[in-house]
Amino acid sequence: MSDASDGVRRTRSIVPAPQSFVAGIALVLLGMFGIWAASDLPRGTLGSMGPGMLPHWVAIGVAICGGVLALTGLVREGAGLQTFGLRGPVTVVLAILAFAVTIRPVSLGPVAGPGLGLIVAGPLAVIIGGYATPEARFRELLILALLLTAGCMMLFGDLLNLPIPIFPTVLIEAASGTIPSRVMLRLGAGALALAGLGLLAMQRRSTHRGRIDVAPHTMSI
Amino acid sequence: MTDLLANLGLGFAVALSLQNVTLCFLGCLVGTLIGVLPGVGPIATIAMLLPITFGLDPVGALIMLAGIYYGAQYGGSTTAILVNIPGEATSVVTTLDGHQMARQGRAGVALGIAAIGSFFAGTVATLLIAALGAPLTRLALIFGPAEYFALMVMGLAFAVVLAHGSVLKAVAMILVGILLAAVGTDLETGQERMTFGLVFLTDGVDFSVLAMGLFGVAEILRNLDQTETREIARARIGRLLPSLADLRQAAPSALRGTAIGSILGILPGNGAVLGPFASYTIEKRLARDPSRFGRGAIEGVAGPESANNAGAQTAFIPLLTLGIPPNAVMALMVGAMTIHGIVPGPGVMTKNPNLFWGMIASMWIGNLMLLVINLPLVGIWVRLLKVPYRLMFPAILMFCSIGIYSINSLPTDVMLIAAFGVFGYGLIKFGFEPAPLLLGFVLGKLMEEYLRRALTLSRGDALVFLERPVSAVLFLVAFTILAAALLPSLRRSRDEVFTEA
Repeated sequence: MSDASDGVRRTRSIVPAPQSFVAGIALVLLGMFGIWAASDLPRGTLGSMGPGMLPHWVAIGVAICGGVLALTGLVREGAGLQTFGLRGPVTVVLAILAFAVTIRPVSLGPVAGPGLGLIVAGPLAVIIGGYATPEARFRELLILALLLTAGCMMLFGDLLNLPIPIFPTVLIEAASGTIPSRVMLRLGAGALALAGLGLLAMQRRSTHRGRIDVAPHTMSI
Repeated sequence: MTDLLANLGLGFAVALSLQNVTLCFLGCLVGTLIGVLPGVGPIATIAMLLPITFGLDPVGALIMLAGIYYGAQYGGSTTAILVNIPGEATSVVTTLDGHQMARQGRAGVALGIAAIGSFFAGTVATLLIAALGAPLTRLALIFGPAEYFALMVMGLAFAVVLAHGSVLKAVAMILVGILLAAVGTDLETGQERMTFGLVFLTDGVDFSVLAMGLFGVAEILRNLDQTETREIARARIGRLLPSLADLRQAAPSALRGTAIGSILGILPGNGAVLGPFASYTIEKRLARDPSRFGRGAIEGVAGPESANNAGAQTAFIPLLTLGIPPNAVMALMVGAMTIHGIVPGPGVMTKNPNLFWGMIASMWIGNLMLLVINLPLVGIWVRLLKVPYRLMFPAILMFCSIGIYSINSLPTDVMLIAAFGVFGYGLIKFGFEPAPLLLGFVLGKLMEEYLRRALTLSRGDALVFLERPVSAVLFLVAFTILAAALLPSLRRSRDEVFTEA
């Protein structure tokens, strides 16, 4: 995964098909890793196969495929390496991680996540993830995050009753006994939806209309 | 024959209950939606929606999930015709002539013929499943572990041949998939394999996590790289119903497309994707004037669109009769079935006739609904295409996270989809296809189980696979097609099928 910046390398390189070559080497490494990972497992005999038999041979197969692929990459002309976007993967991974550590209390070694529930994790994922593209606009993402989270709270929490934490654990403990959880869920979703719609209305008024049609033809897919 | 009618009667009785009709409609609607939207495929969607079906009864759940899958085949063609972007991988070929028709002001006719062709193909495929169900189930009962193993090897061989690009890369992907499937506790000995002491790997990698990462997240990453302009056909959609002359011209193509799609769909190895390509190639070969293709030939829409819908439905045959998922979507169906305690395979038909026949009948009902959902409502779907991707992908991201979290309530699962997403992005960048990996992953566990059983029964004699006639034939087929795919002359024509289209 090198050369993120300088475009598709069409220039003469020592290897005729860099893509196949690098992919092949990666497969060889993966195969060797597999052989190592399965090395402590008893292989058994054909009559009674042990747990290590199949992984061992499959890993060898992966390595062989990689080897042949790398060799063809050295011999035959082929595709060059493609560019890698960095902004996209990094932002998207961050967004997913943000969701994972905030949705419920997680303890990663000494650090313990707070457990903030969907009401925080959802908007976090949407807003952080949104910045994966340079076209991101904060207010737009905020509106989307509020409305989507409200919708998801109603759909997953209320309608489908899935066991997904909605509110921060602290809040749930504080409110337990005073408000039924379902009422709290609906109130929360309603508040989010109202906030989202309010922002949307404000934006509509400030930019006149035709807001949606600003860039309908430069949509990236 | 009377049996068949009685069974179909039972099926319709099940499928026409208010709850099941509603679920079927919901499935078709969601399917059309994700079909229309480029960048969201049925694999990621079904993985996302799996937790929703936990609360439903199994028949309703599977009816809905099936609806999503074949509904996506309908929806994909709308985007292909109007925007020149395939909404689904299976509608790539439709862009060629479909969009040209739209440019000539015949968008409506193209949409109409796509829907009518799909409906026809869906009807035929439904009947085919009903007719083949019983005999194949009987066949499955005489299969021993050796035959099952041979069958899966054949399926993987087909998957290699039917995959795009390098044969070697496809083989490597399948092996990586099998290797990934081995992670976790070994079923027979209870020993942990390749878990490196990580607790969340003890149960192995969850299939929906892998699917969501490779097809949901990686797809987003790939789309973010390319900036493509969408050009929605400016011209009016025009009349939707094709004229009689159009119909006469398209009918033979739809027939051939249905046949090709049905056959490729039954074969393990994702025939639904290859079907349209094969159909397009054949139509072009058979045409009196091949130069019309690519310039708005109606046959180039009718054939492939029939093929993809037929293939999407006949793919259920190996799953329901033999218990072998032929593609990733069917593998997710296995997940949905096992959650409800149903073991996919020959037992489904005898133990759960309601499920088996109800699902089949629902497919026909669903196809009828799709005709309605697609044609008159096409305006709504076109509007949807105006939602910019910069707003769509954060939403997909959030749905993926919520969906995966609610399957096992494990934050580690959510983290894993990020990891597999980046892995899948790397695969795409290096010219690997993720689909064979997923198939290898699915079949890996089953294959190991049957291999072990077969070898235990034969006391370690590997020749057992060649001594039993059925398994010998299946192995022979597998090796023949693999060898054929490697032959230079055939390889050229295989490449042609993909590149020409």
